[in-house]
Parts: sequence; structure tokens; C-alpha cells
Amino acid sequence: MPKAVNYKANSIVYFRGDTSEKVYILKSGRVSLNYNDIETGQEMHDLIQTGEFFGVKSALGKYPREETAVVLTDATMISFSVPEFEQIALQNTRIIMKMLKVFSNQLRRIHKQVRNLLMSGAQTNDPEAGLFKIGQYYLKSRKFKQAVYALRRYLTYYPAGKFSSEASSLLESAENGSTGNLKNISRPVPSNKGNQLTEVAKSYYNAVSLFSQEHYLEALKEFQKIIKENGGGEYEAKAQYEIGRCYFNLTKYDQCIKHYTLMIQKYPKHPDLVDALYHVGNSYESMGNKAKAVGFYKKILSMAREDLPVYRKSKKALKKIEG
Amino acid sequence: MSLDLSMFDRFAVTYQPEDIIFCEHEPGDTFYLIQSGRVQIVKIIDDIEKNIDILHPGEIFGEMAILEEAPRSASAVALDQVRALEFNRENFEILMKGTPQIALKLLKLFTKRIYDQKRRFLILTLNDEQAKVADVFLMLSETQHIEDPDKDERVFNIAVDDIAHWAGMSPERSRAVLNHFVSQRRVEIFPDKIVVKNINDFARFVNSKRRQQVTD
Repeated sequence: MPKAVNYKANSIVYFRGDTSEKVYILKSGRVSLNYNDIETGQEMHDLIQTGEFFGVKSALGKYPREETAVVLTDATMISFSVPEFEQIALQNTRIIMKMLKVFSNQLRRIHKQVRNLLMSGAQTNDPEAGLFKIGQYYLKSRKFKQAVYALRRYLTYYPAGKFSSEASSLLESAENGSTGNLKNISRPVPSNKGNQLTEVAKSYYNAVSLFSQEHYLEALKEFQKIIKENGGGEYEAKAQYEIGRCYFNLTKYDQCIKHYTLMIQKYPKHPDLVDALYHVGNSYESMGNKAKAVGFYKKILSMAREDLPVYRKSKKALKKIEG
Repeated sequence: MSLDLSMFDRFAVTYQPEDIIFCEHEPGDTFYLIQSGRVQIVKIIDDIEKNIDILHPGEIFGEMAILEEAPRSASAVALDQVRALEFNRENFEILMKGTPQIALKLLKLFTKRIYDQKRRFLILTLNDEQAKVADVFLMLSETQHIEDPDKDERVFNIAVDDIAHWAGMSPERSRAVLNHFVSQRRVEIFPDKIVVKNINDFARFVNSKRRQQVTD
């Protein structure tokens, strides 16, 4: 049970370095938390306000007290065990939210302090090179799925980055399940087409990045250019799918439907077939044609695996329409 | 976890085994609560994929993204088929207010992270490279479960690169310092572990360096 405890002036509630499972709330009187600032070593005194909790961090985290709690004038506080504190906090979300704010500020601050020290040291952090190297690492270890992920991410964030042309050619190898020019090529690649393909990949990911920045019209033009200039091949199929998404995001629903209808005729086994159908259904819904939309959503539910996001999205959309 | 999270279904995401959930160095703005399956946290250090942690249903990861949009410090990979709830800063408050249990869990995670970072900060503020490396061992020993606390010897299942990471030094410099300790017979290096002969000796060494720095 939480209990009220009285302390005389100049007594100590706990010492720095103590381990304890107690959390306190100050009811009356004055209590100061004394500690040394980790950056300057300066002695700090933080006064506790009445109604404020203290000793929470070390009790919850089960580590030694980082400060000494000194009673300045006769004081009364209520002491809780950790489970008692948790029970109260769960019934009063405001307490947790307030503490989350305080703790996240502290965490952000200490993170920044650590980073500053690391920057001034020998280590430099270059997330761009780091991400590219991860892609390289996975490709070298023949973990193609992971390599594809990392390299795609690289190209999304750094479409015109230091390693972007290298990344697009590695990505192509990873997508084909080979280690490409990282090691000597184990699978023959048509050499006359090599360079050209890389260019396509580059413009494709450039367009993807435009799309992700919500520049749909520019992205649309880029994807259309890819199809016009490099007809055939895997990038055409990919670009076809993306064009439909561009139309959808530009709220050109009828064009989206028309585009995907043609695409599905041309590529009946397109890897993004189900997602294309979803956009068609969604377009009909946005145009107010609920019957058509329902038809497409139901079709998706009958053909997609249940754990795919598109399955869930369709189910939800269907529920919304049918009530 | 016996929490009813069905109201958060719209935040659910699924991953197949070996799928990358997020990748080291990529900017992050989402964090996750695992509902089923296990997630492995890995870092690639010197061309070796190192396991940092394996997380289970009910655990939170990627939580630093709530605070700042810094690059991810490690990768998260699905070990099994994983179902997780994905949140960002915008829907964070909804989650916290709706399920105080998760808020409390996050609060505890933050207290641990603050402590770890403060401890790391203390290492980095040391000027002396030998003291830095010694303090890394002290930090690691503080969270070790020790059967016989009277024993001076401590065994650490870590590599030189880990030490370099914590000390904020290059692997070469860290290795040089460790070799110096080896020549003094204070440390023994094995392929899979590093043995510190007398952890209390290291504690005295670090404390005296720290005091020296304050008075300088």
C-alpha cells in the first residue's frame, strides 16, 4: 500500500548509488535532487515541486539512483512500490504521457550529446555510404532479397547520390539473383545490353523517387518516357504499373481504370496484378460506382493471400461500402 | 500480451521470414509493436552481420523514430512471419492514450535507454584512450550476471569492433590499446571472447583518470 512518510529538514530520502524500488510523490515541504551534470561536472540542485513524482527513472529502470534526494524543510511524501506506481499510472494516462514527454526530452538530449562527442572523434557517420554498403554486403552474401531492399532504399533516398549508378546496376543484379559485377559474373549477362539496361534502371528509380515525393505528374512523364524509349523488358512492366498509380494519385480515375485494363491484358501475370485491381476498384469507388468497386474488391479477396496488405485494404473497403 | 489491440488493426503490417523491416542508415519515422513472430536486430560491422538482439511479441522496436528522424542505427529483419503494428509520430498519441500498457512499456524502455546513453557518454568524455577501453569493460560488467561477485576476473563475449563502437574509437586504435593491455597481462584476447583479469583494477584505473580530468 502507498504510505505517507514524514522527513525532517536536512535528512536524506535516498543517496546517489542506492538501489531501491521506491517511487515518491512530494506532498508538502521542500526536497532537492542533487547531482553532477554529466557534461560539465557542475553540482546541480533541482527542486521538486509539490505533487511531482521523483525517483521514477531509477526505480522503473532498476538501476542505481543517479542523484541524492535531500530534504530542505520538514516534508511529507508518499512512497510507492513499482507495481503500485504502475497501477496508478495505468489508471491515469496523463501521468504517463507527462513522463513520456520528460523522458523523451532527456533521451533526445543525451543522444545529441553522445552524437556530438562521436562526431568530434575519429568516427564519422555517413548514412548515404552506410546504406549503400549494406546493399553491397547483402549482395556479396547472396542474400538477394535483402540486397534488393537496401539498394532500392538507397535509390529512393539518394536518387542522384554518390553511388546511384553503381547502386542501380547492383540492384539489377540482385533482382536477377546474381552477384553481378561484384564478383566475376557467374551468370552470363547479355553484354551488348549491359550499359543500356543500367540507364533504364536509373531513370526508373528516378521516376519512383519523384512519385514518392508526390510529384505525380513529373513521375508519370518519366514512366511514359521509359516505355517509349525502352519498350519491352522488365522495366516496361514495372513502369506500366506505376503509371496507373500516377493516374490514381492525380485523381484521373477513368484513365487509371483504362490503363490498368490494358496492362492486365498485356501482362496477365503481372507481379503487381492484385494491387492494380485494387486501384481499379478504388477508382470506381471514388467515381461513385459502388457496384463495380465491390466486384473488384471481392475478386481481390478471392485471389490474394490473406496476409497481404492489399487483402486487408480490400476487405476494409468492402466493409465500408457494404456496411 | 493480453491486450485488446483490435482497434489498431489498420496499423497492422506483415512480413515474410527474412524480409527487412527497416535497414541500418535509412531515415526512420516509424516504430513497431510486435504482435506475432520474432524480429532480429542486426548490424553489419566489418562485413559481418552481427546479431544485436532478438525481439518477441509484445516488444517495441524502432522507438527512437518517435523522438527524431535520425538514420536507423541497426536493421530489423523478420525471423518468422511477423505481424506488427506500425506507428509514426502522428498516430503515436492515439496509441498511447488508447493503451496505457504500451505507454508504460515505452516509458520503461526510455528509462533504460537514457541510462545506457548516459553511461556511454561517460565513456566518451574520457580523454585517455586506455581509460576509454577499460571503461567499456566496466560498463559491460555492470549489466552482467555474475555468479561469484568476489572473483576479479570477467569474461566478455565480444569482439574488438564492439569495443571500438562503444569507445567511439577506430578499430585499429582499439586493437592497439587492447594489445597494450595484453602485454601488461591485464587482458587476454580469444577468438570468441575477451578476458579481463581484474575488473577492480580497471575500475580504479578509470576512476583515477576521471578524477585527474576533473582537476585538470
